[in-house]
Amino acid sequence: MAKIIVVTSGKGGVGKTTSAAAIATGLALRGNKTIVIDFDVGLRNLDLVMGCERRVVYDLVNVIQGEAGLNQAMIRDKRVDNLHILPASQTRDKEALTSEGIEQVLDELVKDFDYILCDSPAGIEQGAQLAMYYADAAVVVTNPEVSSVRDSDRILGLLASKTRRAERGQDPVKEHLLITRYNPTRVDDGDMLNLEDIREILAIDLIGLIPESEAVLRSSNQGIPVTHDQSSDAGQAYTDTVSRLLGEDVPLRFHEYQKKGLFSRMFGGGRR
Amino acid sequence: MSLNVDRAGLAFTFKGGMLPMTVMELTSADPERIRDQLAGKLSQSPAFFQHTPVVLNVEKLDEPHLALERICAVCRAHKLLPVAVRGGPDPVKQSAWALGLGWFPPQEIKPRNLESVAADTQPAKEDTFAAARHEETPASNGGRIYRGTVRSGQQLTAPEGDLVVVGSVNAGAEVLAAGNIHVYGALRGRALAGIHGDHDASIFCRELHAELLSVAGNYKRLEDVDPRLLSQPVQVRLSDDQLSIASMS
Repeated sequence: MAKIIVVTSGKGGVGKTTSAAAIATGLALRGNKTIVIDFDVGLRNLDLVMGCERRVVYDLVNVIQGEAGLNQAMIRDKRVDNLHILPASQTRDKEALTSEGIEQVLDELVKDFDYILCDSPAGIEQGAQLAMYYADAAVVVTNPEVSSVRDSDRILGLLASKTRRAERGQDPVKEHLLITRYNPTRVDDGDMLNLEDIREILAIDLIGLIPESEAVLRSSNQGIPVTHDQSSDAGQAYTDTVSRLLGEDVPLRFHEYQKKGLFSRMFGGGRR
Repeated sequence: MSLNVDRAGLAFTFKGGMLPMTVMELTSADPERIRDQLAGKLSQSPAFFQHTPVVLNVEKLDEPHLALERICAVCRAHKLLPVAVRGGPDPVKQSAWALGLGWFPPQEIKPRNLESVAADTQPAKEDTFAAARHEETPASNGGRIYRGTVRSGQQLTAPEGDLVVVGSVNAGAEVLAAGNIHVYGALRGRALAGIHGDHDASIFCRELHAELLSVAGNYKRLEDVDPRLLSQPVQVRLSDDQLSIASMS
């Protein structure tokens, strides 16, 4: 039985798709059979970030409407064996997603996979609610800024009330906080909220902290999830995040401002 | 008998409707004083007085008999059309009927300030939902104890008694109670105590950042709060119809 994890945030542009792709890649690299589903109908991006946009034939909406089989729509990742992508439709209406249709697709996938990641659209409308409805766990992606924290708070309220687990009175959806675009220097300067403030307001477990990094933009433009770039801080931070998701105890990195020593200033230090 | 009456044959149908209505709240029963002041208003805004239908609200008058006929005549002379009377004792009701006016029962007594606040802040209905996952215990006085974080968009109400939140109330959340509100955490959202008009209700919190504080309809916004009190443990209560916030540290 697969575990269904929704990657969500409320606010747009905080790094949901990047994180979904990076975490799915990390889980698959650790030997878990993983599928990542794009729920953002009409604004599909996941296939770009995963570098498979030219291989999309059928999509989630085709499957739900019975125009294609699940196996026809799933795309096997070229880099990692255990990883599959189910793209969203770029042309359809977002109304094409139905709760029953998604339930059928997930029921099918749950049998074959270890992890199902649902990449949620931004907002709190139907699409976002459908992406979270069947989840067992949630990764709430938050940037260190007030509006992102507020929107994450709103999403956490929905996770506690508008999911299948909540409606059936089962164990609640396990909530994990993933802070992205964290820049310790700007936090020190007071431009960004600090880690402790965010944790205090949202009051949920921290699963990872991804530093602001050029590697993220580079990797999404190249269509290679940043987890593959283990020379970058962001890639390492996502690997740590995946380890924690798998239940390992990994110390937090990249959250403190490190003054560069003479040598690293002279020789450039590691790649950022 | 058939319910399928031919609609074309009907002379009328009854329908419920809500129409905006001007209410003239009388604070004096003296027709002469009303006349003088109406004359003043008429010269200020003549456009308003175009046979405007008005409801005469006499709830604030404490008189068993009113010179209703003369008051109505004064109104008509100033192009206001009294159509009904609201409130007042039985003789007033009888004389309203005798004058061909309708009569409405007095308004339910509600703290008026609160009403306007509630109208501003009430999110669309489908948007509100009760705070869901948490541990919840009914308190002995009919109140509620909530353990957990009250999150943005959530609304938590104790319609009778006190509300105790063991956790924080985040920005964008709203907590309401007929009695007191206790927040054992940070209060960042809105807190409205004494929602049924209990002037003795108080709000307590460990850390004050509240967007709005209200006791029995008297409210303060965050920007009206003394900045020195922010982040402090405080109690909020009414003294002389003014909201007073005192540090408890």
